[in-house]
Amino acid sequence: MAQVVLKDLIKTYGSVYAVNNVSLTVNDGEFVALVGPSGCGKTTTLNLVAGLIPITGGDIVIGDRVVNDLDPKDRDIAMVFQNYALYPQKSVYNNLAFPLQMRRLPKDEIDRKVRDAAKVLDMTHLLERKPRELSGGQQQRVALGRALVRDPAVFLMDEPLSNLDAKLRVQMRSEIKRFHQDLKATIIYVTHDQLEAVTMADKMAVMNGGFLQQYDTPAQVFAHPLNMFVASFIGSPAMSLVPLEASTANGMSVLTSAEGWALPLSPLNARKVAAAKSKKIVLGARHSTIKLHKSAQPGAIPAKVYTVEPTGDVTFVQAFLSGSLVNISVPPAVHVAPDEQVWLEFDQDRIHLFDGETEMALHAD
Amino acid sequence: MTSISNNQAPRSRRRIDGWRWTGRIFLVLMLMYTALPMIWMLLTSIKSGFAAMQFPPQWWPSEPTLASYQKLLDPQNSVGQDFLRFFWNSLFVSVCTTVLAVFVAVPAAYAFSRFTFPGRQFLFFAVLLRNMFPAVIFLVPLFILMRVLGLVNTHGSLILTYLTFGLPLAIWLLKGFYDNIPIQLEQAARIDGATRFQAFLLIVMPLSVPGIIATAIYSFIGAWNEYIYAATFITKNEQLTLPVGIQRFFSENTTDFPGLMAASFMMSVPVVVLFLLLQRYFVRALTEGAVKH
Amino acid sequence: MNAVTDHAKSSRAGIQSENVLQRMWRQRADYLYVLPAIVVMLVVIAYPVYYTIELSFFKTPPGLQLRDKVFIGVDNYSAILSSEVFWRVTLNTVIWTLASTLIAFVLGFGAALALHRDFFGRGVLRAILIIPWVISAVAASYIWKWIYHSDFGIIGIVLVQLGIVDRPPNFIDSVGTVLPSLIVVNIWREFPFAMIMLMAGLQTVPDQLLRAAQVDGASAWQRFWHVTFPYLSGVSTVTILLLAVANFNSFIIPWIMTGGGPSNASHIWITHIYELAFGRQRWGVAAAYSVLLFIIVMTLGYFYVRALSGNERKENRA
Repeated sequence: MAQVVLKDLIKTYGSVYAVNNVSLTVNDGEFVALVGPSGCGKTTTLNLVAGLIPITGGDIVIGDRVVNDLDPKDRDIAMVFQNYALYPQKSVYNNLAFPLQMRRLPKDEIDRKVRDAAKVLDMTHLLERKPRELSGGQQQRVALGRALVRDPAVFLMDEPLSNLDAKLRVQMRSEIKRFHQDLKATIIYVTHDQLEAVTMADKMAVMNGGFLQQYDTPAQVFAHPLNMFVASFIGSPAMSLVPLEASTANGMSVLTSAEGWALPLSPLNARKVAAAKSKKIVLGARHSTIKLHKSAQPGAIPAKVYTVEPTGDVTFVQAFLSGSLVNISVPPAVHVAPDEQVWLEFDQDRIHLFDGETEMALHAD
Repeated sequence: MTSISNNQAPRSRRRIDGWRWTGRIFLVLMLMYTALPMIWMLLTSIKSGFAAMQFPPQWWPSEPTLASYQKLLDPQNSVGQDFLRFFWNSLFVSVCTTVLAVFVAVPAAYAFSRFTFPGRQFLFFAVLLRNMFPAVIFLVPLFILMRVLGLVNTHGSLILTYLTFGLPLAIWLLKGFYDNIPIQLEQAARIDGATRFQAFLLIVMPLSVPGIIATAIYSFIGAWNEYIYAATFITKNEQLTLPVGIQRFFSENTTDFPGLMAASFMMSVPVVVLFLLLQRYFVRALTEGAVKH
Repeated sequence: MNAVTDHAKSSRAGIQSENVLQRMWRQRADYLYVLPAIVVMLVVIAYPVYYTIELSFFKTPPGLQLRDKVFIGVDNYSAILSSEVFWRVTLNTVIWTLASTLIAFVLGFGAALALHRDFFGRGVLRAILIIPWVISAVAASYIWKWIYHSDFGIIGIVLVQLGIVDRPPNFIDSVGTVLPSLIVVNIWREFPFAMIMLMAGLQTVPDQLLRAAQVDGASAWQRFWHVTFPYLSGVSTVTILLLAVANFNSFIIPWIMTGGGPSNASHIWITHIYELAFGRQRWGVAAAYSVLLFIIVMTLGYFYVRALSGNERKENRA
């Protein structure tokens, strides 16, 4: 196993930056998820690490070697592809054996390793089949096995679960996590599904528009998003963002809405707002930190219910607040109807404040 | 609602039936147009020269005979010797052309499908443009070129020429095929330790076998049936290919129609058999390559 | 966010944008794959094209003793354009190309549609319909020459026996009927090509779309016109162009069946050029003819490439 370091990594296509100055360190044995919407540069980054496309600038270090110009085969990596990329004309056995054959291992050693990998992944009975005779989950497992059999320094995974149905995805998620724990493998895992990243990874790198937005543990990213993009991308349902205006009323710092109401701020939040360069402040709150009242309460703000989605153990309510849709979760016992007038109460200790112009999170200093 | 669908169902079925019957009648007419000339060729070829020229005609030969075929295939007489030599020459030229076309078209099509080198688009269309030029434009200059290269009256001149008219469509067909093979397969192979060339040879090549077969059939049929270059480049009798050989032979024996029909039939057998055996690859290659949306 | 974008700008300035030559050099290995094809093409295309153009400005002695050729400017061209045969042959070529292409396309389209639905014996029927395309044009010419024979031709005999005519018609020996008769042979050989192309095209029409149209209440004809036909427009264009080019360039059928006769009634450009060059050894005139032909073909080629690249673009978008 080895660590992977990206230093100022750049990939351009013509004048378009697919990957823009990305720097991050994946420690030995760490599971890092690259996450972001499609087109954010995460798959390009992975392909750069793999050596499948040439880099434009920067450095890639695997272990203690700079691998910028090395062929993929010389980088000591294994990769699992979104569409599995199993060789359709080869049996499962030969799919697993191919990387070993390419390394000219002796036949008996290949056989031993293939059978070991098959045993680990519980597919000894599938060895003679062709990929097209396997289910999606089985194909996924063969792809994993083909990476496993090599014992590489780094595993690269490109959305390996996105072609599976929901149930299988949850199951494979725990299998891959287990696989990581057993092998103490260094894994770089690309996904557009923030839930996969949050549940599996030691650290997640959130990307957007070719830029690395935030690189931290899932808990940190969730609790302290650095900017509005990360705030809205991580968490489901998404964090609600309401653009407001900073002002003062009766000597107190408040956020005012065009609808006429004002939200008083706690001293800490007031200091954050004071540190902002602009008057435009975006209020962010996760669904579980907002209280919904069916009658007017002191400190609660009027809103109008838009949709109600009961899921069984919790009911999600969307309400219009100052022109933005806000997600709130309420116990299933609470009944509200669309177009009903409600009042929302924000938890001052758990709201997020962003500068409306730079979109960066505000800090008190 | 129910009454509406009850009313509509029979009417639309009737209309579909109308289309289906139009299609069937059309197919029967096309079958006659296609098959009757070929059947008449076969029937004539098993008549004697006298029986072929009777009026009213014998629809079914009263004394069917294989004499024409025996004459063509008998190495003892001069007609048979010539015919068999032409046949062998055609086979040799066609096989060589086919093998070379595959060797040249496969890497080219792969490059056109996968790489983005500058000028790729231009080169691709330049290759396709070859299809546009009539043979006759090339005839004189190529004849002189072949004279310079010392290839006149050799099969090399034909193979080289046939290569160029087989290549464009071959490359086009194969490119479509390679476009359909996911690039991730090669990427996986390269990560698994293969070089770019190994990935091509071990992973992509086996997957493109149907395309290669289609390419091969196309080149073979093209070479087998070619007439105008063969008629120009080859003057020695012993080097002639079938189409020219038969034409030369029967322009001297204008009335031996059973013999001519037998020769036409024999000339058609190899390509027809080859095509019928492998046609599904050909149609598949066209579907996946040429006309894919 | 601001800090990040500033950083990006500075790095953008740091990267030297490559020019084309540098890219070509970096990707030089890619060219190796196309090199064999390009070399063959250059030798067999570029040289002949150049040579033909050069020769078209010279008066050439018979026997191709090229040392003795004489520069005569555009005399060859003016001779061609003022000759009566030229216009006759051009008219023949237009009729031959248009009629063959359109009828072959329509018949092939019809056969492809009729064969699209599965029924007993479809595979066999399809195979039989394709055979004429596979067999040699030389063989086809002889088969039809025999069928058209003025004394023993089967069509003529049938017409006489049915009492439609008194004497077997001279299909290919009379000025009025020779061209249509040859076109029938040409279509016989070519409609299967259109059929194959369109059968392949029909398979790309998504079933879902047809079913959706059916649910929307479209009749069989409407489904064809609004769903199937638009899907086939790309294939149809390419097929028609390929057929047109092949017909414009065809040689074997008229050459073997009639040699251009009687009295030039079945001469088309290619056979005429061939006869000028190899029959009468007027190489310069033939070369000038070829250049004119070349210009026409290049014009057609422009549309051909545009149709093909239109398909390519569609492909890339998908």
